[in-house]
Amino acid sequence: MTITTSMDDASNRARRFVRRRDVRQVFLLWLALTVVLVVFGATVPARLMGAGASPSMHAIKNTMTLFSIAAAPVAAVVWAIALYSLIAWRHRGNTQPESDGPPLRTNKPAAVLWILLSSVLCVFLLIWGLAEMGSVDAAGATSDAMVVDVTGQQWVWTFSYPQEGNIESDQLYLPVDKPVVFHVTSKDVIHSFWVVQLGIKVDANPGETTTTSVVPDRIGVYDVRCAELCGLLHADMETNAHVVSADDFNKWVADNGGQSS
Amino acid sequence: MSEAMVKLGASPEVDHGGGWMRRLNLGTAIAGGVILGAIGWFFAHHFTDSTDPRVSDQVTLITLACWAIGFMVGIGAFNGPIRWLTGRDQTHADEMFLAGKDQGVSRYFRFTTDHKVVGIQYLVATMLLLGCGGTLAMMIRTQLITPHSTFLGPQTYNSIVGLHGIIMIIATIIMVTGPFGNFILPIMIGARDMAFPRLNALSFWLLAAAIPVLLSAGFMGGIPTGWSGYAPLADQAPPGMDGYLMAIIIFAISSAVAGANITTTVLTMRARGMTWNRTPIFIYGTVASVGLALPALPMFMSAQVLLAVDRTVSGKFYDAAGGGSPWLYQNLFWLFGHPEVYVILVPAVIALMELTPVFARKPLYNFNAAVLGIVGIVGLSVMVWAHHMYASGWAPDLNGPFMLTTEMISVPTGVLFLVVIGTIWRGKIWTTIPMMATYAMLWNFIIGGVTGIYLSDVPADYDLHGSMFVTAHFHYTLMGAGLTGAIGALFYWFPKMTGRMLSHKLGLVSFWMVQIGFNVVFLGMFAVGLAGQPRRVFTYDHMFAVGNFVSSIGAYVIGLGMLVLLYTVISGWRRGPIAPSNPWGGKTLEWAVPNPIPLENFEVLPVVISDAYGYGEGDVSPGHWVEPAEPLEPAHAGAGAPDVETSTVPLQEGRAE
Repeated sequence: MTITTSMDDASNRARRFVRRRDVRQVFLLWLALTVVLVVFGATVPARLMGAGASPSMHAIKNTMTLFSIAAAPVAAVVWAIALYSLIAWRHRGNTQPESDGPPLRTNKPAAVLWILLSSVLCVFLLIWGLAEMGSVDAAGATSDAMVVDVTGQQWVWTFSYPQEGNIESDQLYLPVDKPVVFHVTSKDVIHSFWVVQLGIKVDANPGETTTTSVVPDRIGVYDVRCAELCGLLHADMETNAHVVSADDFNKWVADNGGQSS
Repeated sequence: MSEAMVKLGASPEVDHGGGWMRRLNLGTAIAGGVILGAIGWFFAHHFTDSTDPRVSDQVTLITLACWAIGFMVGIGAFNGPIRWLTGRDQTHADEMFLAGKDQGVSRYFRFTTDHKVVGIQYLVATMLLLGCGGTLAMMIRTQLITPHSTFLGPQTYNSIVGLHGIIMIIATIIMVTGPFGNFILPIMIGARDMAFPRLNALSFWLLAAAIPVLLSAGFMGGIPTGWSGYAPLADQAPPGMDGYLMAIIIFAISSAVAGANITTTVLTMRARGMTWNRTPIFIYGTVASVGLALPALPMFMSAQVLLAVDRTVSGKFYDAAGGGSPWLYQNLFWLFGHPEVYVILVPAVIALMELTPVFARKPLYNFNAAVLGIVGIVGLSVMVWAHHMYASGWAPDLNGPFMLTTEMISVPTGVLFLVVIGTIWRGKIWTTIPMMATYAMLWNFIIGGVTGIYLSDVPADYDLHGSMFVTAHFHYTLMGAGLTGAIGALFYWFPKMTGRMLSHKLGLVSFWMVQIGFNVVFLGMFAVGLAGQPRRVFTYDHMFAVGNFVSSIGAYVIGLGMLVLLYTVISGWRRGPIAPSNPWGGKTLEWAVPNPIPLENFEVLPVVISDAYGYGEGDVSPGHWVEPAEPLEPAHAGAGAPDVETSTVPLQEGRAE
């Protein structure tokens, strides 16, 4: 009996709430902002990141797009209310308003809904992230993966190919569509091995070997950068990553005195 | 002074108190620091092995430590304990002297215990540090205005990046809890001072001793490691690194002293009737910040102590070749580093949350949720540190768990947003500068928060880690929300702290310049970060030229806006309109005391009967506080010899016995 009454009360309150003019206007503003932000989120971040050259980078760009779209309605709630309050509820004048606003102390359904929705969103992002992390981390985890030893030192990168007769190079050459595992270390301080368009990064630590892996899927010349401040010429610690066809790769290996595995 | 006393009928042969402390001030402190520093340098120079490659670090560290000790001796920090040990503990007159009674401006240059003096000292120190850090930021952006600028060499550039970072970190850690946590908080809880007034002075003067140490790094080869000071790069760095680590060690002690003091004050000295649900939210924010700093800063300090051992006697804690690990430094650093961002952010955002009800003329929406949000952020913030190490190669198996804790923190953060927009909802929005800061925070902090969620995602972080995107992200949180909150708090509480109003018109000019400039700088920086520009580079690929140029122009706009702000503060302080005691119609206790504030704040301690947010409840709400029929504890200053500063306030017979 009491439960029914309180539910009736709640639904009456909700009905009165959605009939308010300001509530409807805020809703429309929220809708408009959401649309704008969704369009922005769906296009701008991924475009700024440029064309990826590996499934990992495609996954990262998709994540950026998805997270931007997921964040759009949340940001729009906050901004819509803020914007509307400045338009409709603003007190004009330089002195203290003569009367106070309505003494709304709390609103349990709103708070519960807010926390519930943000928790659901958080769980969704987590599950998405874990699944994506699984696929990205497993990118080169196949038995036929090529190994490249990467050594950072102030302020150059050296790439060595143990399966191709230990040939060395200061430019990274990779055959397209072949899984590759990088064993990364450093001779002096911490560097961070970053191939921008492949979406991989792992620190090069002195005395330790770290690994990362990727399958390059597009032929081209990409940027290898150092992402950890490593002293004087950190900014210049850049080189190129050439993703080439299998034939071109074998030719490059042969030209440099190695043997293809 | 004597005139006023005679007029009020006090005894003329009163003990002025103070003893030796009368002779000590900033001048003797600097003299003490320089003299002991010189002695330390002399001995270090003669008793170290000059063939040791580490000799310059040994000499530098000993000299800097001696400077700090000499400075603290010179300011009189040890007088109290020495008198206590020798059985001549301070008299009432001594304590009144220490509190700065009747000393005019000179009390700001002494070891003064009055929390209001300490608050002003912190405010000036914060402004000084922000000025230094901001100037360095302008130099950084000038170097980056074109891809291959030669304005600064790589060595200078790297040093400036590090100095800018660490100066700004220290400035922003103290920018709310220092000035407002010391000046406003005790009054807001209805106390006459902090729980440990001498510790309060100690915390400030330790900071004052650390600032020259920190700045000296700039003249000893700088901090070419970035503010994070990662080893083993830090092992290679010039003696400037010793200035950095010594400044952090001293600052950590200062911060621990301040944190223990503020926490104890809030726990034990709230006015009668100020139960936890009647305690203003700003108090929660401040305690959360200093309480979080209590376990966090010792981590940073430990990291630097080990670094000092590495640098002076080849301790090899971080040297892999000697059996150490660079990941040890990173873990210690981020165990401090991530709680630290909330040490900065929480009090600033909560200060805005405190003033939003005043300018929306509505109760704080969902007080309990606000408290839970703060508790949730504080609790989670100590469990997220390794999200800075996803790409470090250290324990990749922990990436998943740290992604979980990091993304969870968005829930309590979201609750804080709910509280603010709930308070604004249908309010009577009075758009003063403090309220505009709230709106700017709502804009900036959403951007900072959403970009933080991208970074919490492990694969996305593989791409974005170490890029300009990260730099833009944390500036959106620490500057866009943090510094904006501190500026809002400054405009809000300035009338209480100085008795004068800040100009609204000048405030508008600086507000818009800083906020527009800020968004230009860091939106541009997001773009180049997404496109792949690493952070901390003095030169960059031509593909990033447009974004960097835009960022640099925006930076100059911020710089000019900050100069306008500085002018606003200085001119307001000197000749702004006299402020009424409650210019905003606020209900918290600091607005109940008169301007200028009496030495011990309350002649009669108030009794709190409700929370401070009863806006619009005029008929139902009894108000925040009442004066008790019987005074609880008489103020010292009112006993017999009323303080000069209170003499403008008519004495009420029978109140102070």
